[in-house]
Amino acid sequence: MAEVSPCGHAHGTPPGEPILSIRGLGVEYEGRPVLEEISLSLPRGAFGCLIGPNGAGKSTLLKCVAGLVRPGRGEIISHARRVGYVPQQLPLDPGLPLSVAEFLSLKLTRSRFWLGAPRRGEVRERIVRQLDEIGAAHLADRRLGRLSGGEFQRVLVAYSLLNDPDLLLLDEPLTGMDVRGGVSFDGLLHHLHDHRGITILMVSHDLHLVEHLSDVVFCINRDLCCHGRPEVVLKPENLARAYGHAPGMVTDAGGGAFIPIRNVR
Amino acid sequence: MEWLPEFLELPQMRYAFLIALIAGPLGGVLGSFVTLRGMSFFSDAISHGAMTGVTLGFMLNLAQGVGDPGMQLTLVAFCVGMALFMAWILERTTLHADTVIAFTYTGSVALGVVLISRLRGSRALEGALFGDILASSAMDVWIMAGLALVTLGFLAFNLRPLTLVVVQENLARLEGYNTRRLNYAFVVLIALVIALLLRQLGALLISGLIVVPAAAARVVAGTFRSMLLLSAAFGLVGAASGVFSSYHLDTPTGPTMVLADVVILILCLIGTALVAARRRQGGGQPRTGLLK
Repeated sequence: MAEVSPCGHAHGTPPGEPILSIRGLGVEYEGRPVLEEISLSLPRGAFGCLIGPNGAGKSTLLKCVAGLVRPGRGEIISHARRVGYVPQQLPLDPGLPLSVAEFLSLKLTRSRFWLGAPRRGEVRERIVRQLDEIGAAHLADRRLGRLSGGEFQRVLVAYSLLNDPDLLLLDEPLTGMDVRGGVSFDGLLHHLHDHRGITILMVSHDLHLVEHLSDVVFCINRDLCCHGRPEVVLKPENLARAYGHAPGMVTDAGGGAFIPIRNVR
Repeated sequence: MEWLPEFLELPQMRYAFLIALIAGPLGGVLGSFVTLRGMSFFSDAISHGAMTGVTLGFMLNLAQGVGDPGMQLTLVAFCVGMALFMAWILERTTLHADTVIAFTYTGSVALGVVLISRLRGSRALEGALFGDILASSAMDVWIMAGLALVTLGFLAFNLRPLTLVVVQENLARLEGYNTRRLNYAFVVLIALVIALLLRQLGALLISGLIVVPAAAARVVAGTFRSMLLLSAAFGLVGAASGVFSSYHLDTPTGPTMVLADVVILILCLIGTALVAARRRQGGGQPRTGLLK
């Protein structure tokens, strides 16, 4: 697909050197196309969101960028120093005897020999500092499996921040969070983007959040349907095209964005 | 040898005790990862399926008894083959893991029973079912020591990727680890340990040595490090006290070892329940890190 999107808003993308360029990306899974000919670029310092219906390939795209999925076609050019990836939250064994500090120390050590988290010293201080930044210092000695969805998500973010990435990929970070968790989590994303200057690419179903956080939205349904500033992409006619049909959606009273009913909290 | 405690006066008790001292912690630490990865049933399946390996060893005249080197090799080949087969199928199917394990395992046992019926006089098969740690030789102690070196060395060398996989496989892959190779190596390791411990503990009991101390450690441990250390300690205490009690109670040694492990697990369960109850009474603090 060419740089100009069907809704013609290439000029709506914030200016700046791209930290990430994807050209003609194609991925197949068991002979079935998951992504076809996706081309997009994310400017350095932007807050980008990937939206689209279920099974549209958003997570796969993110995994390609993280290096977890090898694309069949196309190329990904990343100018990021380091990429952080926050995976989609999967159910965790609640009895897993792994403390948050131990989990984070797994990221800090480079050695294959790993002997748990030290109780004091530099590693411990870095862990506590990192947790403190995201407002989770009190979780350091809790068990990973006993955290709430929102707490675990924060810890996953802390984990991916430990190697100081300049590009952060988040796969549906708000899944399993209640409204209050969601609100404080978007404060955290604001902080990472505005104060630490991290470029963010996030998959999200929450169009409200997308609308008020992002600079650029990529709407995907196997290929790139349209992209541009949120107020443009989130217009009803664009969403209707991407999600297939307008029924099953309600109009947002405020901005005119469409929200799929199943995602209304 | 007057300095030895009474129960170690007989040489076969000495060998059995040494093997218990090695196999206990070995099983415990390996079991930590087996249970955390939800592979208890997998290891159970290999140990039960191994009966077919024993039968094959007799049928093909590779060995006269369960303790022969020919039988050890047959068992290693059979168990590793079975583990790789299950892992290979699991990678290529949408069937649930327990379904794949169940059909491989029952298939293997069924084949074993058919073969046994062909085998005139099922000679030492009982030995393979229940094991006989008292029949161990000095050679077996060396084999066990080598096995412990390989197993604990592998686990120590892969502690970081293995722990990451327990949380989420993608996290290990992001750090550049080849998790596929790691998973295959891990199932081979389980098969190796089972094949070489079969003669001592028997197909029916071997999983106990791997799963039970690790389960007890998991009940009381608050951190990963403490779980690993406790599983080794429980494995050691369970196996050693099992050999010791079997001498004084005049009970079969292998089963007594597993029973001692089970007693430790029950004590851990009761202990945590009591602590939880006391915590609830005093001050109503939230329950953490205890029984579900």
